Amino acid sequence: MKLTTKQLTLCAVLTAMALALSYLENFFPLSLAIPIPGIKLGLANIVTVFALYALGPGQALLILLARCFLGAVFAGNMNALIFSLLGGVTAMLVMIGLSRLRKLSVYGVSVGGAAAHNCGQVAAAVLTLGNTAPLYYLPVLLGVSLFTGALTGLISACLFRALAHTDLMKG
Amino acid sequence: MRGTVYYMKRFAGLILAAAMLCGLCGCGGAPADPDKAQESIQVIAMDTVMIFSVYGEKSTHAAYAAEDEMRRLEDLLSRTDEESQIFALNSAGGQPVTVDSEVSRLLNTSGMYSDVTGGAFDITIAPVVSAWGFTTDSYQVPARADLEELLTHVGMEHVHQSGDSVRLDQGTQIDLGGIAKGYASDRVAQIFAENNIPRATAALGGNVLAWGDRPDETPWRVGIQDPKVPDDRNTLACLLHLTDAFAVTSGGYQRYFEEDGKTYQHIIDPATGYPADSGLTSVTVVADCDRESLDGLPGAGTMCDALSTALYVMGEDEALDFWRNCGLDIDLVLVTADDRVVVTAGLADAYEAIEGSGYTYEVVS
Amino acid sequence: MKSSPKLRPCGWDALVVLLVLLLAVGCGAAVWGGNEATHDLTAVISVDGETAETVALSSLSGPEERTLTANGYTLHLVLSPEEVYMEAADCPTQDCVHTGHISRSGQSIVCLPARVIVRLEGGQKDESAPDVVIG
Repeated sequence: MKLTTKQLTLCAVLTAMALALSYLENFFPLSLAIPIPGIKLGLANIVTVFALYALGPGQALLILLARCFLGAVFAGNMNALIFSLLGGVTAMLVMIGLSRLRKLSVYGVSVGGAAAHNCGQVAAAVLTLGNTAPLYYLPVLLGVSLFTGALTGLISACLFRALAHTDLMKG
Repeated sequence: MRGTVYYMKRFAGLILAAAMLCGLCGCGGAPADPDKAQESIQVIAMDTVMIFSVYGEKSTHAAYAAEDEMRRLEDLLSRTDEESQIFALNSAGGQPVTVDSEVSRLLNTSGMYSDVTGGAFDITIAPVVSAWGFTTDSYQVPARADLEELLTHVGMEHVHQSGDSVRLDQGTQIDLGGIAKGYASDRVAQIFAENNIPRATAALGGNVLAWGDRPDETPWRVGIQDPKVPDDRNTLACLLHLTDAFAVTSGGYQRYFEEDGKTYQHIIDPATGYPADSGLTSVTVVADCDRESLDGLPGAGTMCDALSTALYVMGEDEALDFWRNCGLDIDLVLVTADDRVVVTAGLADAYEAIEGSGYTYEVVS
Repeated sequence: MKSSPKLRPCGWDALVVLLVLLLAVGCGAAVWGGNEATHDLTAVISVDGETAETVALSSLSGPEERTLTANGYTLHLVLSPEEVYMEAADCPTQDCVHTGHISRSGQSIVCLPARVIVRLEGGQKDESAPDVVIG
């Protein structure tokens, strides 16, 4: 994929933002309210949604992969990579599919993405633990993803409104 | 007039909100029957392995509360931990020491069981047990003269108690090891009661608490290990069906060493200073765990622990006499060296013979 | 902007929500509604009271060895699809090695000096087996 300097810069900025959002998430420990390992708001998904519409699937995937790798490197925990990769890529594929359906709003795409992200993570847990026990969490996680998906959808919608009149994305 | 699009949006929003609510209620709810929730933890404390298997809504909380309590009691009652009150008491050199009321109650209880068993249970046997090396795993057969000397310091008359102030005579040492795990099981029962635990098992080494019944509403199946096969916990001499009960087994097979072809086991007869050689290989004492009268004080669990050691020292005939005359609500399973399993009448319907174990079973009254 | 999505929720979004809900309910019925005793036999290895590893025995294709180092001792544990045993240990008591092979839910191998517990959980429970053994 050949990127213009502007696109490359934008990708870098968005990757940085996604990483920052992942970090920011630690200050909203959702696991305190719902005691399930690995449960979180999924704020970094905002960047994925945004990139998907603003830059297209290719660059969105690029940002996602960079975010997963860098996140694991920063956390010093390569084991976490399979979780974030499997979750992230599943979410990405589902959102690419859903975003093709022009009838859906950013909310629907977000909710679908959040649900897919959780499915991916549970799959990763089942794979790494070699045990089907994590499946028990899936129904709850799916229920929660309705809320987290709606929340990221709302924030993404605000973002698109705010940026709609800038020429940031043009060209 | 507002267009249909507006209402469409309103409608969609409503559906979204409603659906999300359903999602949370439907999925956030607890899976199935709360009584089926189970927590099983293993704890290494008080020199033994403890397994807590707890059912019910607050099973996790109760299991971990029990673990914390075990750690607290370990610190309080250990003979080797230099921070413990028992250590302070043993190293006071004849001076009085003020102890927790919990410790002084346990000392009182120990004195009481020493009385009723005619000294067969005695917490002051500690220096003799140490001389055999059972506390340090450096086993040795002490000289008879040394044992004679140590025995002059053994006996509850060397423990002087007034309120929470306790004084041991010079040379006297105490070890609550023969009663501490029983007391711990009393405390576990109380923790289960406080947390409305419907059913659970707690195995504290040789001390078992069968709380309530099994999930299939039949009694808990509690196995008594075959003393002839000390390494294999899965070979049984007898099986008991118990509901709301304490069961404590004492047996020489639990710790022993061999020297010059002779086996020396860890339960010392306070009368001789030598390992008890009474013809029994294990004694199990069973008592009801009455949920209505649990106050956290030394109770039925403590009693079973103290008596199992004492009855092991006494031997078959004396133990059965004790059972007939003591007026305590207990039952016994005695395993003898000549391959008999003697069960007292109260367990006649609650015991199960093990096929192929090589034991013959008899019920006495 | 390549393309801006619709920014207000609409009826079609509700469809996605319903789909996720259906999936959640379906999963819930599958994992919670089924027989609870269908979990595979699992070895839970704990060191110093912390669970170090859980191994579903059915996921093993053949015997596997684990070397556990704890509190100055080294233990060699063998896990196979049918059973678990301590092959060797340098602890003074050797109780763990003497325990032999365990293969049923509820059985455990313990090394007190190293503070290691290996316990089998789940699997088909033998109704006639004892729940607890005093010993």
